[in-house]
Amino acid sequence: MSDLDAYRTQARAWLAANLTPKDPSKVLRAAHGASPEQLAADRALQKVVYEAGYLGIALPAEYGGQGLTKQHQRIWNEESARYAVPAPGGIASHVTLGIVMPTILAHASEQQKRAWVPKMLSGDELWVQLLSEPGAGSDLAGLLTRATLDGESWVLNGTKVWSSGAMSADFGVCLARTDWDAPKHKGLTWFKVPLADDRVTVRPIREINGSAEFCEEFLDDVVVGPEMVIGEVNEGWAITNTMLAVERGAGAAQSGATPAPSDRRLAPDLVALAERRGTSGDPAVRQLIARAHINDFMQAQLTRRLGEAMVAGSVQPVVASFIKLGLGIVQPQRAAAAMEIAGRGGVAWALDDDPGSTASVNFLNGRIMSIAGGSNQIQRNIVSERILGLPREPSPDGDKPFRDVLRDARSWGKKT
Amino acid sequence: MQLDLTDDQELFRETTVRFIESELPVSRTRLLHDHELGYERAWLRKSAELGWLAMLVPEADGGGSISGAPVLDAAIVSELLGRYVQPGPFIAMNVVASALAARGSDKQRAELLGGIAAGETVATWAFADAAGNWDAGAGLQLQRLGSELVLTGRRGFVADAASADWLLVVATLDGSPIQVLVRADAPGVRVAPLTCLDLSRRVANVDLDRVVITDDDVVGAPGIDPVESALLHAVVLNCADTIGASQALFETTVAYAKDRVAFGRPIGSFQALKHVMADQALFLETAEAGAVAAAEALQRGDDDAALVVSMAAAYIGDVANDLAQECLQIHGGIGFTWEHDLHLYLRRIRFNSAAYGDPTWHRERVCTLAGLGGGAT
Repeated sequence: MSDLDAYRTQARAWLAANLTPKDPSKVLRAAHGASPEQLAADRALQKVVYEAGYLGIALPAEYGGQGLTKQHQRIWNEESARYAVPAPGGIASHVTLGIVMPTILAHASEQQKRAWVPKMLSGDELWVQLLSEPGAGSDLAGLLTRATLDGESWVLNGTKVWSSGAMSADFGVCLARTDWDAPKHKGLTWFKVPLADDRVTVRPIREINGSAEFCEEFLDDVVVGPEMVIGEVNEGWAITNTMLAVERGAGAAQSGATPAPSDRRLAPDLVALAERRGTSGDPAVRQLIARAHINDFMQAQLTRRLGEAMVAGSVQPVVASFIKLGLGIVQPQRAAAAMEIAGRGGVAWALDDDPGSTASVNFLNGRIMSIAGGSNQIQRNIVSERILGLPREPSPDGDKPFRDVLRDARSWGKKT
Repeated sequence: MQLDLTDDQELFRETTVRFIESELPVSRTRLLHDHELGYERAWLRKSAELGWLAMLVPEADGGGSISGAPVLDAAIVSELLGRYVQPGPFIAMNVVASALAARGSDKQRAELLGGIAAGETVATWAFADAAGNWDAGAGLQLQRLGSELVLTGRRGFVADAASADWLLVVATLDGSPIQVLVRADAPGVRVAPLTCLDLSRRVANVDLDRVVITDDDVVGAPGIDPVESALLHAVVLNCADTIGASQALFETTVAYAKDRVAFGRPIGSFQALKHVMADQALFLETAEAGAVAAAEALQRGDDDAALVVSMAAAYIGDVANDLAQECLQIHGGIGFTWEHDLHLYLRRIRFNSAAYGDPTWHRERVCTLAGLGGGAT
């Protein structure tokens, strides 16, 4: 038996002995933030997984990992897919391990990595992103949160928004402006910010689907030391590009944490809807189901191919924008197809009509991937300019000092 | 097509490109648009020297693949044929080769496979009903009359029937699909050429009026599996052809958008156009991943190869047609001229999407293959 086969056997046995299988009826219900008890229990369970050596499988030992290969990680992903693997704080855990940790590994100092990464793996620290602002979403580099040097320390002021899972988290990585005389992309710096600080206020945002997965944060004179600066001062944009590429699918594609292409069951949610209405023989409904299933399959193939190419180094991480744009196009179509199949069952349903209520929730969530993490339009700019090499749109703000950039929409086009 | 090519395959691909660019570049394919058969036999024989028609023929029968993965090798060629809008019976001949290699009698293999591999014998696959639809042979009856077997009916939309020496026809015997070999010049065979949207292709209806064959002409046992296998080979190669044509057209379009100036800027700097191209780049990238998945599933002989192949075909057919339309839109007036090559690709891509099951048909097939009850078939 090969080393990998032995590893699989061992992982399988450990999973069976220590974790419980997933309960499919309990997936992704409204996330109003975990209760403190639930959060503590999930953190404790994550520590059990970590101490057994199943978190950070392919990371070096000095960062708290096991120093094994990506194949070992892939085996764990496959074997653990059927189990309820602990994710303290839900989305906060995914952000910590799936987005923040890879970015920290790529850009933080050696000392920071040794100090911070093991605590992320063990569940002791949950980290989220303090990135978008009320006035800076697609135009992220136009953000207004400021960090001002006071002696050796930095003083942060501003408002951040759309931070997934911040109500459960311990720290945020925060992008702030440190030079107002530089052009917009050249005066930004990353900081680690403790969310428990008295001068940080975290408030959940209620979303169109009624749940509250995201938060806004108010930073009022938050003071952090120089050891909390990630990367170089004023060089934060390159780190941002890494983080966004990871968020858009580079991380998942490279770690093998993508939907298994072997899962070829015909769009189960749509089939359930059609069978409930007795329309699974309707040719038009069958076309909708097949189209959705084919799009799902093709997206998985795209992710797999690009992930392999990224691992092999034959393409740049920027191709993750293909994965993100693909989801952003397909998911709204899929949500609309589900509502069409659901018919009136998607707009009014009995308490026990799960397919109808699922279709309605997905309908409301249909635009998440086309807006969050860089909208479809931003991905199209990235694909066309950085992958296809098409010329840039002329930019009225890219080169001027940020303090001179337009902020009042009504003065656009007027001579100053 | 993003296949992970071996060194041998890479070399073969380069050789194939050089051959096409010297023998029949796109500009010269135009000279064949009014050619009755669409290609010259001498050219076909030359192309066969590179191995184009030998991939799916076993070595013992005079063939051989480049890498030991013949479907992938043939897909490499097919993609280039689409990229350079090459004429000729490549897909049909490879389908016939695969069918005879898998199930042909010794006599059939001896009589045809060597000739196919060498480009000396032209064979095509006649599978569709009079409307061009898949019918698993229902539209052509094979009847046993005493010691004779008699074929009566029509096969529609047969590729390169007018230049073929042999037809592998899909018929029905006692309710079961069956494939049989028919000489194109046999008494009772009448080839009626159709006018084809794709200027690089030739198709015809073939009427079979009491055509007499013998048991020696029957390929393998009756049943749906051999016919399905032939279909999968045709669809996979057709997808690769569409990918090649789409890539060439899209590359031309992106280059044009970088060079054409309007309103004092390259038109490719306008988001109204670059966003269209970003979407098309994504769909093409995804289609390529699908084409690779389909070719690999067929090559490996996966249990669900038919499902994967139909998923890829439905997706590729739709997105390639949209891509061609958007490329025409981005070109504007120049793309609407006969002299511009754009329409050669637009036609090729549209033809391909109808040739071996259209996207709607493949989607219904996906439902059926995946076991969704209640369908019409």
